[in-house]
Amino acid sequence: MSGRMTAEQTKSAMQLVVSEMYDKIVKGEPPTMTLPVRTKNNIGFDRKLGVYKYGKNKSIRDATSLGSAKQLLRALHIIEFIEDMIDSGKSSTLREMYYISESWGLGKFGSQNESNNLAEDLEIVTKCLREDFKLRPEEDGARIIGNLTLQERNRRGEWMRINARDDVGDSGYGVPYNVETEKIEFLEHDINFLMAIETGGMFDRLVENGFDEDFKCGLLHLKGQPARSTRRIIKRMSEEWDLPVVVFLDGDPWSFRIFASIAYGAIKTAHISEYLATPSATYLGITSDDIVAYDLPSDDLSKKDIEALNAELSDPRFADSWWQDQINMMLELGKKAEQQSLAKYGLDFVTDTYLPEKLSELGLA
Amino acid sequence: MSGIAQKLASNQKQVAISEFFEKNKHFLGFDSPVRSLITAVKEAVDNSLDACEEARILPSIKVKVTKIDTKKDIIELVCEDNGPGIPQKSIEKVFGQLLFGSRFHAIRQSRGQQGIGITGVVMYSQLTTGKPTHVKSKIATESTAAVVDIGLDTRKNKATKSNSGRELWQLDNGEMKKHGLEVTTRMKAKYQKGRQSVWQYLRMTSIVNPHAEITFTDPDGEIHHWPRVTERLPGKVESIKPHPHGIELGQLQRMLTESTDSRLSVFLRTNFSGVSTRAAKELCAAAELDVKVKPKQMSPDQIRSLLEAFQGEKMFNGKPVKLLNPPTNCLSPIEEMLIKKGLSKTIDSRYATTMTRAPNVSQGNPYQVEVGLIFGGDMAGDKAVEVLRFANRVPLMYQQGGCLLTKAIESVDWRQYGLDQAGGKGVPKGPAAILVHLASTNVQFTSEAKEALADNGEVMEEVRKAMLEMGRGLRKHLEKKKKMAKTKEKFELINDILPAIAAKSAQILDKPIPDLAGSITKIMSAVICETSTEWNKETKTADVSIKIYNYTARARAYTMLATWPEKSGASMINNQTGGRKEATGVWAWKLETLQPGENITISYSLDGLEKGDWTETDVFYRGSQEIIGAMKMDEKYLEEIRNQEKILNELNSVNESQDSVEMESVAPTKIIEQPPIPEPAVKPPTGQSTLFGGDQ
Repeated sequence: MSGRMTAEQTKSAMQLVVSEMYDKIVKGEPPTMTLPVRTKNNIGFDRKLGVYKYGKNKSIRDATSLGSAKQLLRALHIIEFIEDMIDSGKSSTLREMYYISESWGLGKFGSQNESNNLAEDLEIVTKCLREDFKLRPEEDGARIIGNLTLQERNRRGEWMRINARDDVGDSGYGVPYNVETEKIEFLEHDINFLMAIETGGMFDRLVENGFDEDFKCGLLHLKGQPARSTRRIIKRMSEEWDLPVVVFLDGDPWSFRIFASIAYGAIKTAHISEYLATPSATYLGITSDDIVAYDLPSDDLSKKDIEALNAELSDPRFADSWWQDQINMMLELGKKAEQQSLAKYGLDFVTDTYLPEKLSELGLA
Repeated sequence: MSGIAQKLASNQKQVAISEFFEKNKHFLGFDSPVRSLITAVKEAVDNSLDACEEARILPSIKVKVTKIDTKKDIIELVCEDNGPGIPQKSIEKVFGQLLFGSRFHAIRQSRGQQGIGITGVVMYSQLTTGKPTHVKSKIATESTAAVVDIGLDTRKNKATKSNSGRELWQLDNGEMKKHGLEVTTRMKAKYQKGRQSVWQYLRMTSIVNPHAEITFTDPDGEIHHWPRVTERLPGKVESIKPHPHGIELGQLQRMLTESTDSRLSVFLRTNFSGVSTRAAKELCAAAELDVKVKPKQMSPDQIRSLLEAFQGEKMFNGKPVKLLNPPTNCLSPIEEMLIKKGLSKTIDSRYATTMTRAPNVSQGNPYQVEVGLIFGGDMAGDKAVEVLRFANRVPLMYQQGGCLLTKAIESVDWRQYGLDQAGGKGVPKGPAAILVHLASTNVQFTSEAKEALADNGEVMEEVRKAMLEMGRGLRKHLEKKKKMAKTKEKFELINDILPAIAAKSAQILDKPIPDLAGSITKIMSAVICETSTEWNKETKTADVSIKIYNYTARARAYTMLATWPEKSGASMINNQTGGRKEATGVWAWKLETLQPGENITISYSLDGLEKGDWTETDVFYRGSQEIIGAMKMDEKYLEEIRNQEKILNELNSVNESQDSVEMESVAPTKIIEQPPIPEPAVKPPTGQSTLFGGDQ
């Protein structure tokens, strides 16, 4: 895991980005910014870290087109903004930065997506984290229910001890955006594994059915594509408590991608995969076989679904034979199924039959 | 052309008008309630336009359609103009008698070649509602207007007149009307909206009559107004004599019978255009006829023989007799600039190009093709382009698919010019409208309905050529637009963004702001041309500025060329850079060598134009390195301009040598200087046109 940088390290890393542009102009060249190619074609498995990282392909963003030139100018504004925040001990959300850019004249952003992406670019180029940049996401963090105890430092700077079964309501313990050790410490637990769940409906079903107590597990609601903090807390629990992690998602191409981002690293954040990914996580379901084996109500794959599946076939993260089989099988079936389609057999089917069967395959039930 | 005339003339005595009308209503334009209304409007408006044109009055026409009885489809139509009016004693003849007037005898371009005129409207109204048509007419020399109700006695085949009298004609603003005509009639008809409607007819009419102001009040009371966009009346058209190549047997027979000449050679020389004394003798020889034959006494065989000599089937010295082309000043083109204005006032678009080809002759009939294309704006991009067809300034609204003009459009592969077209065939799709106007002394239709032009290889080719040239113009425009957007971006980059990057990075690093020249050259690495054409309100000129920047590492030398509306009578003033004329409407400047980083500006003004006449200047270059924002000179383009110049010159010299008809200043036949580049030697030594005659 990349160590956290000091304010001075962060600043000098950013100065290097600025110098690259400045020096090019002095040499009579168009200014440039060099960054890794951020596509599936440039991610590779890092044996040492056990996750997928960016490869050696670099792309040079140079100011020969208006779009790229504007990106460079925006990057300079962000760097200046971050330096100011570091110096004044402030932090801001990505959204706040987007609105602050209104006053950057030519360097203002067209959309928040642009500013988010550029902040990520800077993380990658400088090898800093956005926490080093004093930038916060507004991503919706996960919620957790189960017999596990941690302490979180509250706004007054005091540590609060929280048991995620006894001290929380039905919505569980809400994971904050910062889950590093200065904010959260893990204390103790009495669970055998952690189950990450895609949809709120399924999370609530398992909670209502008391699945966490019956199977001695922690339940974690991913809320769709999981936020960085969600992936980070899964990673920490898996490592620090040595817990197995199982992932229970819909059975469609997008769920496959969610799993890949949890287990192998996301393409967008491959520069910090070792910090976010949990290589030991297991895909529990819904698998392509489940659709057939449990005769689940299903929908036809859309054109976009099929495109996504085909793209996954050539994604290095899905290169192993199990994934290739699952993807090809879904393409052949032409069908996808939701987690909640299990309700076809009653509200308890998922907790009484499906999950026990699937978990026993893994030796967890 | 004279089909209906003959038919009517011969049938008139025996057949009751009502029966005749019933039998022929399809080609008279009264075959459906919807079409009947359009035809009625058309007859009235055509009459008004023709009358105004003859009297040299700028027409203001008002058309009002009111629903009287929706159950029985009874509609009242009121058409009012500001024309010369009709003297009281002539009203009855104009409205009540078939074929009154002279249009079927004279050969010239005229609107009224279609239908049987306003008489048809009077008949139709009488037959469908039993009501006469009310006419109010005021001529300038009288203080009151004549009013009369004109009906038809269908048994006696005669016009009836009732309620005639005189009254004051006061306008809404209290003033007295000076002169004009108002026709009020009730008929069985239906008002409909859309592509085939009174609205569309008037809209199209307004496009090709930019000198007319047309106001239309529809049955819902909504007022549609198409303003006048030019004060210039169409050129006065001259009548010409028939040409031997365009004459039919019947007509020849009639002319011979009516002739009082004593010698055939004199008859030929005086009754036909294009026949010189020499040609008259040669025609007689070819037909094996004595020059002294008395025309009136010729036998059918002799007449047929003469016709064969006309058509070149009987030859003189082994060759068809060489005839001069007929003069083309009998045509009245709308002209490029006015078509553009007409189109632009009715359709909102971003780009408009129009073209008037040089007049030409097919089978002894002078004709001229004009085309226009407008693109962009509010027009739908996923539908077939609107095709606007006109013959002698009359809109053609039916039978689009069977028309020569449509076929010519369909024969072009529009995909290469930036429009969609399934399989490169058919009417293209896209946000565009295409206009085609054929002006001719003898428009050939596919049928008596006179809604589609009959096939004619020469005319087709002429239209097609015009389409191709417009297509090239459209493609150039689209390419230019794309490049201009790119260029604009580049300028923003080097003028705004790059300096900001330099300043901000210097500030963050606490270093001096670096010099940008090197980076700019690397970023642009091109020669760039920026052109602006702006209307100057104060000087009433179109001011053009062409700026060329050399953003490359090497010195560059170019000749720049620009288009300007020379044919429309503009003059170039304040041109500091000098240069020379390259061809009609194309000016050229040979520029000094541009060093890296240097720029130069050519500027001039165009005088003699109105606002909106000239909004876009095409800029070309000759030189090795590409210029962004200008087009490499396509020498074919120049060649086409010169070909047209040549044809104009030749026709002009024919017209001048043949007869000395006074030309209107707007006629497209003024003498044009020869371009500086020598012509290829395709001209026959006599200097005559090769369009027909010995070479074919």
